[in-house]
Amino acid sequence: MTSIVITEAQREANRRYLVQQHRRHFINKLILTVITGLIVLVFVFPIFYWARLSITPYKYVFTIPPRFDFPETTRVWWSVVIGGRSYSDAMMEEVGNLTGVGGAGTGGYDIRPRIFNSVRVAGISTLIVIIVATFTAYALSRFEMRFKQNIVFFILSTRFMPGVAVVLPLYLMYREIGLYDTLGGLILAHVVINLPIATLLLKSFFDDIPRDLDDAAMVDGCTRFGAFWRIIVRYVAPGLAAAAVLCFIFSWNEFLFSLYLTRTPELQTVPVTIRTYDASAGTTEWGMMSAAGTAAIVPVFIFVLFVQRYLIRGLTLGAVRG
Amino acid sequence: MADTVLPRGKVTPIVDTRPRRKFWSGENPLFWLIPAVLFLLLYSIFPLLFNIYRSFFEFSSSRKVWVDLGVRNWVELFTDDPRFLNALGVTLTYVAVALAIQLLLGMLIALLLDAKPWGSGLMQTLIILPMVVAPAVAGLMGRLMMHSEFGVISVYSYQLGLLEKSEPLLGGTGRFALIAVLLVDIWQWTPFFVLIILAGLKGMPHEVLEAAEVDGANWFQRLTRVKIPLLFGVITVAILFRLVDLFKIFDYIAIMTAGGPAGRTESVSYYSFVNTFSQVKWGYGATIGVVIMVMGWVAAWIYQKVFRLKW
Repeated sequence: MTSIVITEAQREANRRYLVQQHRRHFINKLILTVITGLIVLVFVFPIFYWARLSITPYKYVFTIPPRFDFPETTRVWWSVVIGGRSYSDAMMEEVGNLTGVGGAGTGGYDIRPRIFNSVRVAGISTLIVIIVATFTAYALSRFEMRFKQNIVFFILSTRFMPGVAVVLPLYLMYREIGLYDTLGGLILAHVVINLPIATLLLKSFFDDIPRDLDDAAMVDGCTRFGAFWRIIVRYVAPGLAAAAVLCFIFSWNEFLFSLYLTRTPELQTVPVTIRTYDASAGTTEWGMMSAAGTAAIVPVFIFVLFVQRYLIRGLTLGAVRG
Repeated sequence: MADTVLPRGKVTPIVDTRPRRKFWSGENPLFWLIPAVLFLLLYSIFPLLFNIYRSFFEFSSSRKVWVDLGVRNWVELFTDDPRFLNALGVTLTYVAVALAIQLLLGMLIALLLDAKPWGSGLMQTLIILPMVVAPAVAGLMGRLMMHSEFGVISVYSYQLGLLEKSEPLLGGTGRFALIAVLLVDIWQWTPFFVLIILAGLKGMPHEVLEAAEVDGANWFQRLTRVKIPLLFGVITVAILFRLVDLFKIFDYIAIMTAGGPAGRTESVSYYSFVNTFSQVKWGYGATIGVVIMVMGWVAAWIYQKVFRLKW
């Protein structure tokens, strides 16, 4: 048997080959990263540009060509941090008499109470949605029923309902029963908007938990409700959190119903308020709009980081496991 | 232990085997379903019935009464309303273009991210962000960036000669207004396809892909013969959801163009809204409402049946 002899030259060739492969791999990866990174940047850029506008003194907003830096932002910030003035005051000084309206203190334009409105509407409606949806999802996951597919489709179809077709009947009904122009009415509307999403999403989480667990609990003496409450709900906790965050975001961003089911400015939610900066006083107040808009999207960004894993599952109502 | 004596005669069982019939113990499915069904009836059946009923009436805002019109609303809608036909055309164009571009672009970005560039995790997080921006705010972002004078996109398009200053994206005669709205929709919802296709790619069985590679399939063959057929399921779901949402497009149009100029961006939803709230033609708005509800419903039903979606 002849042993294979590897010469020094061959060894050298092998090494060079590997290095070359490695280098090619490196270059490919670099090109891939650059291309993908650029595409992702295009998607992030509008958010950056919008957020930048909210901390840019007014005189730099409409420059041509557009600027991408943060001119005098530090000066504005210093006057807030050191000078102890409110952010909106500092910004208003820059706005000067160019627009004359806007800013905190002009009543109808103050965003802060509206943020509180949005938090209340989104928070309470989410709480109700989660309670009702958990029950429904459990039933759809555990019971064999006739027409189950039809019930599921019925729930799904309410997710597909065009808002414009629903808002008029709701509006007229609300006027009859006195829910029009109340936060309670709006909360109720947001509950029904989010209910299908939460229900079907939670159903997919319940489906992941073996039925044996229910049976075991019931053999040990729980009623079905007891098994649900003491055992099963604890296992879908991540699902509950994901559904809650998603419902909160949807309610927070909702525009059409919030616009038409409330009339009093004091009851408006954030997206509707942002709309009122737009041409309501003759000028479109980009600075105010972007500040309010940024305030509206930043909490959502923070929230969504926690449920990133479940985002696709939520948006497809559990049909696609992310 | 061996001489356990079994008692004779009637023995009460230790385990309670009586059927639990109590409603509150939760054996009855209705116990679980009633709250949600009540809520959803309010939201889907009631508006549908209401719209059907009121489509035979018209509200007279001067006399504050509903006037019985018979089928006149329906006749007008189908035979004598060019604005509705225009809105239908705009909506269908919008849906088709947006869906095609979002699907292809989403597929491309997903494949790029799946090839694991450096920082792909961070990139994935970043690309989620457009999706959770409030649609109203996204519309305003679009308007800012496509502003005919100082918008970033406009200014550079003028410089590159892509656009004429007399014919901006937003405003002017509105030739490009629909494109402007589409750009915002594409920006906000392409990430949806990216994430969903990425989820599909990650759940793909390794063995199949490796087998294809061993059998000598090149990159393109692996994509078209293996990956795309395996992705069929998730893509179906993604298209279903985008389809129904695109069909009821409202927010961007309300914020960006208000249906104008000259109805070039007026979708069916927006037209129904104009009738209902701007012109206070509640009966006619309800008629259009019935049409779009039924259309959306039927489309979703057929789609679900054809592609056998299961929840």
